[in-house]
Amino acid sequence: MTVSALTRPGERDRLIVKLSEIDWVFVLVLSLIAGAGALMLFSMAGSSWMPWAAAHLGRFALLLLVMIVLAVVDLRVWFAIAYPLYGFGLLLLVAVEAVGDVRLGAQRWLSIGPFSFQPSEVMKLGIVLALARLYHGVPAQRARLSWWLFVPATMIALPVLLVAHQPDLGTAMLIALTGAAIVVLAGLSWRLIAIFSVTAIAAVVPMITFVLHDYQRERIFTFLNPESDPSGSGYHILQSMIALGSGGLLGKGYGLGSQSQLNFLPEKQTDFAFAALAEEFGFLGCISILALYAAVIFMALRTAYLSHSHFGRLAASGATATFTLYVLINGAMVMGLAPVVGVPMPLLSYGGTVMVTVMAGFGLVQSVRVHRYAEVTSGKGSFV
Amino acid sequence: MTQPAIFFEEVNERQGAFHRRSILMGAFAGVGMAALGARLAYLQLFETQRYEKLATSNQFNFKLMPAPRGIIVDRNGAILAANRPNFRLMVARDKGMDPEATLHTLAEYVPLDETRQRRLLKDINSAPKRAPVQVMEDMSWEQFSAINVRAPELPGVTADMGEVRVYPHGGAFAHVIGYVAKVNKEDVEKAGPHPDPIMLHPSFRIGKQGVEKAFDMDLRGKAGAKKVEVDANGREVREDAQGDIPATPGKVIELTLDADVQLRAEEVFGEESGAAVVMDVRNGDLLCLFSGPSFDANRFVRGLTGAEYRGLAQYDHKPLFNKALTATYPPGSTFKTMVALAALENGYDPKTVHVCSGHWYFGRMWKCDAVHGAQDLHHAVATSCDIYFYQTALWLGPDRIAETARKFGLGEIFDIGIPGQKKGLVPDTAYKKRRFPKDPKWHPGETPSMGIGQGYTNLNPLQLCVMTARIANGEKSLHPRLVRAIGGVEQKSGAAWGDLPVNKDNLHFVREAMAAVTTIGTAARVADLGLGNVKMAGKTGTAQAYSYGAGRGVHGTAGAWKLRDHAWFVAFAPYDDPRYAISVLVEHGGFGAAAAAPRAREIMRTVLLKDPDVMKRVVRPAPMPDLPPEMQNQPDAADGVVTAQAPTGKPA
Repeated sequence: MTVSALTRPGERDRLIVKLSEIDWVFVLVLSLIAGAGALMLFSMAGSSWMPWAAAHLGRFALLLLVMIVLAVVDLRVWFAIAYPLYGFGLLLLVAVEAVGDVRLGAQRWLSIGPFSFQPSEVMKLGIVLALARLYHGVPAQRARLSWWLFVPATMIALPVLLVAHQPDLGTAMLIALTGAAIVVLAGLSWRLIAIFSVTAIAAVVPMITFVLHDYQRERIFTFLNPESDPSGSGYHILQSMIALGSGGLLGKGYGLGSQSQLNFLPEKQTDFAFAALAEEFGFLGCISILALYAAVIFMALRTAYLSHSHFGRLAASGATATFTLYVLINGAMVMGLAPVVGVPMPLLSYGGTVMVTVMAGFGLVQSVRVHRYAEVTSGKGSFV
Repeated sequence: MTQPAIFFEEVNERQGAFHRRSILMGAFAGVGMAALGARLAYLQLFETQRYEKLATSNQFNFKLMPAPRGIIVDRNGAILAANRPNFRLMVARDKGMDPEATLHTLAEYVPLDETRQRRLLKDINSAPKRAPVQVMEDMSWEQFSAINVRAPELPGVTADMGEVRVYPHGGAFAHVIGYVAKVNKEDVEKAGPHPDPIMLHPSFRIGKQGVEKAFDMDLRGKAGAKKVEVDANGREVREDAQGDIPATPGKVIELTLDADVQLRAEEVFGEESGAAVVMDVRNGDLLCLFSGPSFDANRFVRGLTGAEYRGLAQYDHKPLFNKALTATYPPGSTFKTMVALAALENGYDPKTVHVCSGHWYFGRMWKCDAVHGAQDLHHAVATSCDIYFYQTALWLGPDRIAETARKFGLGEIFDIGIPGQKKGLVPDTAYKKRRFPKDPKWHPGETPSMGIGQGYTNLNPLQLCVMTARIANGEKSLHPRLVRAIGGVEQKSGAAWGDLPVNKDNLHFVREAMAAVTTIGTAARVADLGLGNVKMAGKTGTAQAYSYGAGRGVHGTAGAWKLRDHAWFVAFAPYDDPRYAISVLVEHGGFGAAAAAPRAREIMRTVLLKDPDVMKRVVRPAPMPDLPPEMQNQPDAADGVVTAQAPTGKPA
């Protein structure tokens, strides 16, 4: 097929063409990361597919299919469901306040029949789509500096406050930062960015003192001084750093990591999977995985860059921002640079919820890529 | 066609802004990733050694292993205390286990009744997490292997082989050697601010009495350690045999005791209460230090039941009490040896005659056992005439008697290594003044009873044996020695002390008088060893436990046991070449000659028959007067081998 063939009207709407437009290198890189995750989970279970590795691979395969399906979904459909999805997410968050299950001391889960899930995950995609759609019809000047900015601010604040109230500070922060990333990408004035940054930093101390729960405060304090209580709450950080540091350049060898195999590493299959990998594969293994993550971020961001529609740009970059934040926050936490917040390493860690969020986000990114020349709207942003 | 809401320039401005910002975002992500990479490089390339060390200290634990406790042997190497293997079953509280269900399962393999299960459950729940609690000891091999097979599916259950102390002779040495038992709170407190961590090991046992207690540190040895790989919950995953630190076994303690003699003493005492002490008069070695009745020390190692302990503690023969050291008794007539010697030392003429008519008036009427008639000092010792010694004591006064008595170790505590000796008392005027401030003057009426070893005088059987040994030795202020060597290091000899500051002729006189006791005196016949010309010289004693005057004391073996006199006998043998001294006390035994002397004779015979030199005298060929003298002196057999030869010449 020649490039000129793609310029033919209607040609790009053909399914086979759409599939060929998917970034298959991107899919390969994702598979490599998920494969590394399965390799680690296999090792940590004592060289066994059960209970994690098989489920991890199966889940990834299924979600890869979902991602491909989402990739061929017309961008206008994404555009159309943006507000409903956001509204639905908000409703679920309110519902979880009322009837959610309390697990591990927080009200995060909603059970429908045999399924239970965290509505805050829906919101991670919802906020990206809703803000992208909102900015799609807004001129540069208004997005830069105007009273209109209260609209996106409110749209971000509502879910953030609801999630923070569960309390799930990690997810709330992730939603807030994703939203902020889109607002900044849409062209927020530098002056406002500076004012917000200064205010946020100034608000940190009173936040810690008055708003946070005791366990959250404790996490931050032990992060600042992990050796103060090595067997208590500083344990997680310290053990993770021991796993990393003792890995050295080449690692202890596959299946030979004492920290992870003997359970010194807490939450080794979820939040600290990266530390387990670092222990067994060393610096070279870590750098390789980080390079794969960097490649994913670069390719996704490039997709956003090349999109012809503003909605597509913001949606793809927003989903990328979520993914980037996952990687950076988990990496910093595992390496002792950030307090312990329950943010896993996407695709590497065991756990379905995050994988669903991330793969759905990449479905959106690929959809933006497949439909990069498409007009999302004609005129005032109504559905064509 | 509707009006576009956004004009092209605006679209371009928006797109331009996005492009710039998205590059910025990429840069931001790049910086973030680079920061992570730098942090990784710092942790994994520059701090590797530090974290490797931490990981290793996470991964490996050293588990203390108690050292085999040193064994205790007698002078001939016979084992008095040793260790035997012990299959134990232990349960520790742990995550994911139900102690109650575990005990229930274990009850299928080992006998654990409901009561015991409840008690163990309480112990397990109150013990620190993962601290093993002993459930069963001395399992059979079948029980041990059956549980070991099931152990992997029973978390917290371990079956292992440890060592347990064993005392092969049970009771005979219980008072001297003591026993070991579990460490209790007081033991840990006594160990100071930093107790040896091995003390907290569940299979460690600490010496509680006697030699086991006094030489606990020597016997303990140095604990070793087992290198084990553990997981985060402290569960052992693997053992690393190459990383083990071997334990240093405890030192061997060699006692001067002779197991044959001690066992013979236990045998002759039967259920009688009392003590027997045998000492080598040449070097002070204690061949026997027995207190009866005794108890089985092995029961204490295992832990006594309340009923067992009450039985021992409440028995009026006091089996838990070491009567050879801890109990003091009036020495009775055995003390007359000291009175006689004190008199001679102070210029008393041994030819002085006093007439015994059975009664003697001094302030009140004093009695004698018999009517002895006119006697000098030699005969008064032999017949043990009280009336003679009332007057001799009166002539001496208490201070001069006490001075001589103290030279012979009476009222003294000897360092024999084990604690629990009671000092006793040899009274004098200074004592009276100190002890009775209301009546500080020594009344002359108090002296006669001192002359016959009554009154305030109180001594323990060890002291009387030392006294006899010093009389027999005649040269040295002999000290008793119980521990011959610790870990092969010889201890100070009992003869390595000063000279005995007493006139040798006077000592010879007393020895002669003691020989008369066993030939013509109170112990004639009963103290005959039956070993030819190897004879024993001694002195009987019958000490009032209670005053007869008050109507409570009982003379002889009639009446209640508790009220009878204490029977004493002290002796040395062979008379003409003193080698061994003995003191025997039979508590409430009645007459010394009847209760104590025959027992002393049996024990002494055992001692003498083990001495090859003495045996040579006992078992020898009949002399052959027809042969020239130089041929008679030839040894007829190898040393110590007894050969019976038919008499070839005329009967001797």
